[in-house]
Amino acid sequence: MNDGKEQISAEELEKALREYVERANASPRAQKTLATWTCRIHIIANDVEAAAFTFVVEKGLSLPIKVGLQDTPDLIVRGHSFDLAEIFWGDANPVSNYMQGAIKTQGRADDVMRLDAMAMFIFLNQ
Amino acid sequence: MSNQPVLSRSLSLGGASAISTGLAFAALNFLGMAQMLDYINGPIAWIAVLAGGVLILGVRACFSELNGIYPTAAGIRLWMARAMNDRLALIITLTYMTAIVFVIAADAFIIGEAMAYAFGNGKLIAIVYVALLLVFATLMNLRGIKLAGSLEKIVTSVVVLASVAIGIIAIIKRGPTPPKLLDGGSPLQALILGIFLYTAFEWVTTNAEEVVKPKIIPRAMFIAIFVLAVSQSIFAVAMGLNLGAEGRASAYPQLLVAEQTMGNVGMLLMLAVTALTAVNTFNGGFVTLSRFMYAVAREGKLPRSLTKLNNKAVPVVPVIFLGVSSLILAVVVAVTGAWTMIVSMCAALEMMIYATAAFVVFRLRKREADTERPFKLLGGRPLALAVMVLFGFLAIVSSTTVGKETSTTPLVTLAVIAGIVTLYVFFYLPRLEKREAEELATRRAERAAKRSAGEES
Repeated sequence: MNDGKEQISAEELEKALREYVERANASPRAQKTLATWTCRIHIIANDVEAAAFTFVVEKGLSLPIKVGLQDTPDLIVRGHSFDLAEIFWGDANPVSNYMQGAIKTQGRADDVMRLDAMAMFIFLNQ
Repeated sequence: MSNQPVLSRSLSLGGASAISTGLAFAALNFLGMAQMLDYINGPIAWIAVLAGGVLILGVRACFSELNGIYPTAAGIRLWMARAMNDRLALIITLTYMTAIVFVIAADAFIIGEAMAYAFGNGKLIAIVYVALLLVFATLMNLRGIKLAGSLEKIVTSVVVLASVAIGIIAIIKRGPTPPKLLDGGSPLQALILGIFLYTAFEWVTTNAEEVVKPKIIPRAMFIAIFVLAVSQSIFAVAMGLNLGAEGRASAYPQLLVAEQTMGNVGMLLMLAVTALTAVNTFNGGFVTLSRFMYAVAREGKLPRSLTKLNNKAVPVVPVIFLGVSSLILAVVVAVTGAWTMIVSMCAALEMMIYATAAFVVFRLRKREADTERPFKLLGGRPLALAVMVLFGFLAIVSSTTVGKETSTTPLVTLAVIAGIVTLYVFFYLPRLEKREAEELATRRAERAAKRSAGEES
């Protein structure tokens, strides 16, 4: 089931997420455009049991990543640990992964779009 | 399926059914009914609507199977790309998306004409109404204002119940009328237009990620088909009993039915119902197409300018593009009076996508035979093949017929649109893909360099 992809450990994925949060909070464009957005996101790697995180965005501000799945989410993002890590490192286009079915989401389309917009602001400096 | 997720906000069966029904019940449907009555006698018009509904159940089964395998808003891109060449999948998807522009333009035109009739204005004022409506819809979308789910349910319920009520009153007032032979009747054309009355019900599959139980979307589509069958059968019969050929040739036959039955009050009530259908169309159409364009552009398959977001996180360029193209199309339709062609083109595009969905089911049953399918098309590959052949044939018929005339204009227009999309996909897209790949490679290299610098220190 690993499709020949490298498996990323839960610690490494957590580190990628923490770096991502730092970058998100450092992006003025992300802060401005997502200023009204509040969302609790569960991020789950299908291939690594311990790799489950809670990422909360509160009025555009990304709060520190929590290990484990906390409270009821607005959005769930699932995928192979490598695909998830590549997205948070900025090495892969999240929408390409999503369109190819590598990343699966559950929740409102608006939240998915805003999460992608955050990645766009961080990595494409828009 | 024991590990079903829980979401803070999820779409209920009622909400999904309202979305499916609301998207299908467009103002353009009233013109579809009027055209259908050129081919089938009023008192038996319900047969065409119900027959269309029966065939649509086959389409619903195909979409349910595909939605079960790929429950995602990107479904259409994803399942087509799995079953065929990605370039071809993109050409079909982008060509199909023009149907949304046609429906938005047609609805704006119909409401503009209906308002002009209700308030006794001329053609020029009707065009002004059309322009104002589309400018208003565009601005609302740019501000990120959307119809809330609960309001969407109310709007759809009002549209359906008011249409049924006015239809029943119109039938009762008219009294029993025996069906008679119709000069120039055509069961095939009546069936195509009967199917047309359900089109867009399947767009609810783009909400698949908002439900927590996989069966909700297939069930919602079934409920929508049932509701559409009953409500539109009643109104089609009412229209057939109350309107002659001249009334049916207008851009607002539903207003004339209500006016004949309930006077001025009925006419104004029907105007409000027509406006409400457009609320659903504008809400669903603008959001669906603009977000889809954004996603395809983010994927690197459309120009990056389409990913520009405003401070409300709305993709600005797709919304403006949609507003402007719908306005131009609506004005062209208003000036030329060619709304019958819009019906033909929309019908052809929808039949084409239904045939494609059946083809994908047929192909994936073999290519991805082991994939779990929460919903399966009964009859398997033979039935999928039959649905594909049938809807492929109906697509050809609808693209070569305008009203009662045989015309290749819709086919040629669609071929031109598909041709432009093909040129784009083969000649411009490779440049975008190359740039995207280069950017990702640069980012990877930068990260690798940072990592090795960190390890060294």
